[in-house]
Amino acid sequence: MSVGTLLRKIIGGECCENQNHTGTGLPKVLIVGSPNVGKSVLFNRLTGRYVTVSNYPGTTVEVSRGRSKVLEGRFEVVDTPGMYSLSAITDEERVACRLLLNEPAQAVLHVIDAKNIERMLGVTLQLIEAGLPVILVLNMADEVRRLGIRIDTRRLGELLHIPVVETVATTGEGIGELAVEIGEVQPAAGQKVDYSGELEQAITEVAEQLDEAGGISRRTRALLLLQEDSSDIEKLIGTQDAIRTEAVRAVVSAGRGRLEHSPHYYATLATKREADRILSRALSLPAPGMPNFREKLSRLCMHPLTGIPLLLLVLYFGLYKFVGEFGAGTVVGFLEDTVFGKGINPWVNRAAEAVIPWQTLRELFAGQYGIITLGVRYAVAIILPIVGTFFVAFSILEDSGYLPRLAMLIDRVFKKIGLNGRAVIPIVLGFGCDTMATMVTRTLETRRERVIASFLLALAIPCSAQLGVILGLLAGHPYALLVWAGAVATIFLLAGLLAARLLPGRGPSFYMELPPLRLPKLTNVAVKTYTRIVWYFREVLPLFILASVFIWVGRVTGIFDLLVRGLEPVVNLIGLPDGAAVAFLFGFFRRDYGAAGLYDLQKAGALSGVQLAVAAITLTLFLPCIAQFLMMKKERGWKLTLLTSTGILVLAFVVGFVANAILNGLGAQL
Amino acid sequence: MRCNFCGKTFDEESSRKACQRCAVFGGCKMLKCPHCGYEVPAEPGLIKWLKRKLKENND
Repeated sequence: MSVGTLLRKIIGGECCENQNHTGTGLPKVLIVGSPNVGKSVLFNRLTGRYVTVSNYPGTTVEVSRGRSKVLEGRFEVVDTPGMYSLSAITDEERVACRLLLNEPAQAVLHVIDAKNIERMLGVTLQLIEAGLPVILVLNMADEVRRLGIRIDTRRLGELLHIPVVETVATTGEGIGELAVEIGEVQPAAGQKVDYSGELEQAITEVAEQLDEAGGISRRTRALLLLQEDSSDIEKLIGTQDAIRTEAVRAVVSAGRGRLEHSPHYYATLATKREADRILSRALSLPAPGMPNFREKLSRLCMHPLTGIPLLLLVLYFGLYKFVGEFGAGTVVGFLEDTVFGKGINPWVNRAAEAVIPWQTLRELFAGQYGIITLGVRYAVAIILPIVGTFFVAFSILEDSGYLPRLAMLIDRVFKKIGLNGRAVIPIVLGFGCDTMATMVTRTLETRRERVIASFLLALAIPCSAQLGVILGLLAGHPYALLVWAGAVATIFLLAGLLAARLLPGRGPSFYMELPPLRLPKLTNVAVKTYTRIVWYFREVLPLFILASVFIWVGRVTGIFDLLVRGLEPVVNLIGLPDGAAVAFLFGFFRRDYGAAGLYDLQKAGALSGVQLAVAAITLTLFLPCIAQFLMMKKERGWKLTLLTSTGILVLAFVVGFVANAILNGLGAQL
Repeated sequence: MRCNFCGKTFDEESSRKACQRCAVFGGCKMLKCPHCGYEVPAEPGLIKWLKRKLKENND
């Protein structure tokens, strides 16, 4: 939401619903912090039996309130929803921020999981900078001791200028000390994070325009305005005067316009830097004699020199051996040859002949392109084992926390070669589904980034289903697989570099907090795999059946044969037999449908190693599927979508032609 | 629920808001993390039922 929109909302009086919801009149103690750090357990420790739970006005977010049972019941304790930052994204965060803005508190307890203090201290710094009466609660202190981590709470308190208390909310340890601090805490002295450069100047300029309002410092309100925070703009600006708000808007826009990257990016980095500086004096991790394997592995995954070989290992064992050889080879072989080849298809064909006297109608269900003999067979015998094994491998990677590290690795490589870094998230997601990844490009900041990322996704990123089928297709031809991977990677890099040069704009930056690396849990992997397979089949089976119906209609009307005949010279041009034209036609419906068509051809022995590599390259670069096409139209508009699709179609066949010419010219035997 | 990519938690309501302007009109049955945009399929009824039963047994 732009500042203009937000200001209009203020003038229109749309925001600010509440002040004090309970009317107890007691001073408040607000418990804030990330989800799953023990806030609710602490809340229960601090309050009695009479607790009210109600939705925050205008939302479905629940807020618990209760009278304190410690400190002689002199306080109302409020358990706020989980928040990762003062700059709110979710409804929960927005409510937590509104509570902080709208309900002046005697004390704000920032509860953190002390094991993860490095990740959570940033919010403490934000709360301190806001001038709130913060107490830092290092919860789960017992786990910290068990892990050999030492936090010098006294030193930390001195550095932050706020009380710091260690607690174990589940046992009640430290609650007495916390109660004492609640009674004595004062508003934080305003320990400042140095944002340096243009952001620091912008904050100063905006802060000068703001009046003192509520309990939040002008500096914090200025930063939230620059970050387009929408939690409670009226409070942030501190006035309803239209002329003053216009002046603030102008200063915010000017300040933001001078920044090369987003204010959020600078603020996150500066806060992290400050948190690291403070913790370097108050935190000691286990002695060097106790190597932290996960930390080391995490760093190795992200460093280009070690990360790329590790990625290749993951691809080789996770995708090539497991998905390619086992899923696409062993399991597909059994389902194709035994279950459908000898069982279902012959039976369906015989049954159709016996029951349906009309040849045309019979072909809708049985025969070469029937709904059951082609559509269901593709979906169950070819796609299911391949995406099933792929989803197992993908779920293991997901549950281990490897994916964000892969994003960081690719980001580093991207930056080195001049590509845009943050596009890495949609690009990594594209390996799951290009359609959803195209939608995620919306989160990129500039139009330039969005256009480049959409183009690369449509051109050179195979979705999980297509990737699985192509791996299965090339599993018996490792050299063809290498040629395919090399060609697609080269096209991706060249197209990305070219797009980045042709489309003017500033190179963005990417930063994300990394969740811990962990051993995948069997139950998590099973649930994730099952969930994905159910989702995939709900999506894919109706489309495969629809495609069979379209093909049937096309054959009845003669359009299908016309299109196939039109495509035959083109596929011949890239060295493929006539039969490949049908596979490419299928590819218009779904990329994996087309790849499954190639699989059929390969099984029939109609494709050599070179032809397989050329077909796989061309089909990977081929047009996006219908769903992705529609998504591109929605996100980028007709003009750009048609232009991109036409360019991709031509490029796919040109690359196929060149690859075929080179491989045949070299006399390659793949 | 916890995002499989960034590790942050979110609820289905926040996820639905993150999907509001999607071209698939929410028919994809995916849940989008409002923090990083990563998407995961919504849990099927069977899994939800199993989790509920397990929780009841544990309680």
